[in-house]
Amino acid sequence: MSDRVAIVGIGQTALRDAADDRLYHEHDYEAARLALADAGLDRGDVDTVVCSGWDAVDGRTISDMHTAMSSGGYLKDSSHVGEDGIMALAYAYMRIAAGLFDVALVTAHGHAESSFETVSNVVFDPLFVRPLGLSHLISLALQANAYVQRYGVSEEQAAKVAVKNRGYGAANPRAHLRSPVSVEETLSSDPVCYPLRELHCPPQSVGGVAVILASEDAARRISDKRVWISGIGWAIDSYDLGSKDLSRLGSLAEAAAKAYRMAGISDPLEELDLAEVHDITAFHELMAYEALGLAAEGGAARLIEDGDTGPGGRLPVNPSGGVLCANPYGASGLLRVAEAALQVRGEAGDQQLESVGKALAHGMSAPSGAAARTDCAVILEGV
Amino acid sequence: MPRRVAIVGASQTPSSSHRKDVTYPELVYEAVSGALEQAGLQADDIDAVAYGSMDPFDGIFAPERWNVEACAGAGAANRPLMKITTGGTTGGSTALAGYYHVASGLFDVVLAVASQRVGESLEAQLVLNTAVDPIYERWLGAGAITIAALQGVRHFWRYGTTEEDLALIAVKNYDNARRNPNAHLMRMLTVEDALNTRLVSWPLRLSDCCPSSDGAVAVIFASEERARKITDRPAWVSGAGQITDNYWMGDRTWYEDWDSLSMLARRVYRQAKIDDPLAELDVAELYNAFTIQEIIEYEALGFCDKGKGAELIRNGVTTMEGQLPVCPSGGVLCTNPIGASGLIRVAEAALQVMGKADDRQVPNVRKALAHAWGAVIGFHTLMVLSSEAP
Repeated sequence: MSDRVAIVGIGQTALRDAADDRLYHEHDYEAARLALADAGLDRGDVDTVVCSGWDAVDGRTISDMHTAMSSGGYLKDSSHVGEDGIMALAYAYMRIAAGLFDVALVTAHGHAESSFETVSNVVFDPLFVRPLGLSHLISLALQANAYVQRYGVSEEQAAKVAVKNRGYGAANPRAHLRSPVSVEETLSSDPVCYPLRELHCPPQSVGGVAVILASEDAARRISDKRVWISGIGWAIDSYDLGSKDLSRLGSLAEAAAKAYRMAGISDPLEELDLAEVHDITAFHELMAYEALGLAAEGGAARLIEDGDTGPGGRLPVNPSGGVLCANPYGASGLLRVAEAALQVRGEAGDQQLESVGKALAHGMSAPSGAAARTDCAVILEGV
Repeated sequence: MPRRVAIVGASQTPSSSHRKDVTYPELVYEAVSGALEQAGLQADDIDAVAYGSMDPFDGIFAPERWNVEACAGAGAANRPLMKITTGGTTGGSTALAGYYHVASGLFDVVLAVASQRVGESLEAQLVLNTAVDPIYERWLGAGAITIAALQGVRHFWRYGTTEEDLALIAVKNYDNARRNPNAHLMRMLTVEDALNTRLVSWPLRLSDCCPSSDGAVAVIFASEERARKITDRPAWVSGAGQITDNYWMGDRTWYEDWDSLSMLARRVYRQAKIDDPLAELDVAELYNAFTIQEIIEYEALGFCDKGKGAELIRNGVTTMEGQLPVCPSGGVLCTNPIGASGLIRVAEAALQVMGKADDRQVPNVRKALAHAWGAVIGFHTLMVLSSEAP
């Protein structure tokens, strides 16, 4: 097994509501510059660049022709994943672990020039499913419903997830939505698709995220704020919604099991100090607790009821406010890594937890929502 | 020293302008099951999947999701799958991703799959046109054909290359494709025929341009330990890389020379310890979507000096009987499922090294080169495969 890989640079742009005069690849540029400055590097120090994004969402084919350049890829070895940025991080990790590159820049962007919800309909097969009008969020609503029906989870319990994350986000200057909400407000917000209400769902945010990875030797040379990737795993779920158990997140369970094995974690609830999970809906965060092994199947609601994952709890989840407070589609998963890494560095600001030794970041790369959803789990550790 | 990685199986589907006989997942399954069978592996042996396709040409967003079960049941088994998209280099980039999956030490046996159904596009060039800048360049009609024609104009002007030279390239590839059961265009072509096909964008005629194809390909990468158990004759990865050129067409200076490809070739040859590519390589599978590009590639890849590419084809150096056969498969010129074409180059190079290229086999292949270009000639990928472990 090769040397360890560390995060040595983090860049997050301000997150906004809608597109301003910036084009999609300018978010990558801005985030890349911030990450380089954070690491004290310049473009010449970067060996390889891995970008991310979806042509269908960016509204042009080969959208990485632009992002590769905006991310400093000129005359370098670059690649691009048609996934959330967290998968670009997974790829960059492999490039460095192979011993073939020392410094890798990973970029991701989210924009609101197109409606992710509308575009996501085109992920579904054109014969049987697309005509039903299925989309990213509708498939996640089906999943939430299957979970609710199976375990008797109440709308109030899901609302408590939204209340927790929006409360956390209110104190995070990097979040997009910075206003707390109450259980009552959540339960009376507009229905989106049963059982999802408006406040159970994320915004669509505009901005960029970049992370710089380095080999062990390079990391020791570059930065004394190193955050080590001690475990990583990813997995995809099956596509056909009708032929799988929607009430559990199989691909996340598999991804987390791999990451835990690699990092030597056997009891995540005890051993982790924080988790940033891809709470694409409030219900989804509960399901993620179970797949991550923080609770037995059907037991997640207990954690939120007891405040175990809130401020002062056993394992704070999404102290950044999570995806419910900031959702640049395509960069939201990588943002989980960035936020968890800031916590490990002790630089998370008002929501900084005391002494974070081990943190988990979970990102979901799921243009099709619950159908063939990819989950990636990353374990981060300090010195 | 990175972990040694080898290709142990490779399989391609037959191609045509529209494979209406199969659904998309069925097309992908054809390629995957072929590669598994060749390597004597089962679906359970696959640790991870790297998948390449260019969504806009399929008219589906994230087709790998639809096809996830066709990739050795990756979804049902909750396996890792990573989607790669880099334009025409997608297949080459997918091969690189498969290689890094194994080289990283995270996985031992990895399936690289690439697919494209260009038959689902009304017109691939209209789709490709959306890649370029919407304000300054798109309205010029820029796409693969026009940019290749621009390369041709420059090469003709600077080096005296002629339409007859392009016809020789077309004839060589059409001849080769007729020995490849998976090729899309399989017909006789003479120099006279070629020069009489209709003009598409001067100096390119119809026989100078690739077709739009439906097709899929699968390649299996394995760690040294696994590779030696699977086959006596794997194709070892001895050099690999990608290079990224400028986005703005007006800011690139090298239409007739392709300096970015030369830079990449120097990097990859250094890894593969190749000093004289013409002498040391036994076969090359180049991304010759247009005849003029094959000539430019000869030069950029160091098979000859700049401006001398046409002499290689005039002298028969790159024919099946020549010193360095180029594209025994017929190349991209005869088969182009866009996002899959780069991985087909790798598959064909691997089959040559493994001695499994059937009627198109070049004798005693020890080193083979696979190339792809993409992103309106903005990206290149290269991979060198060898019969001996690096």
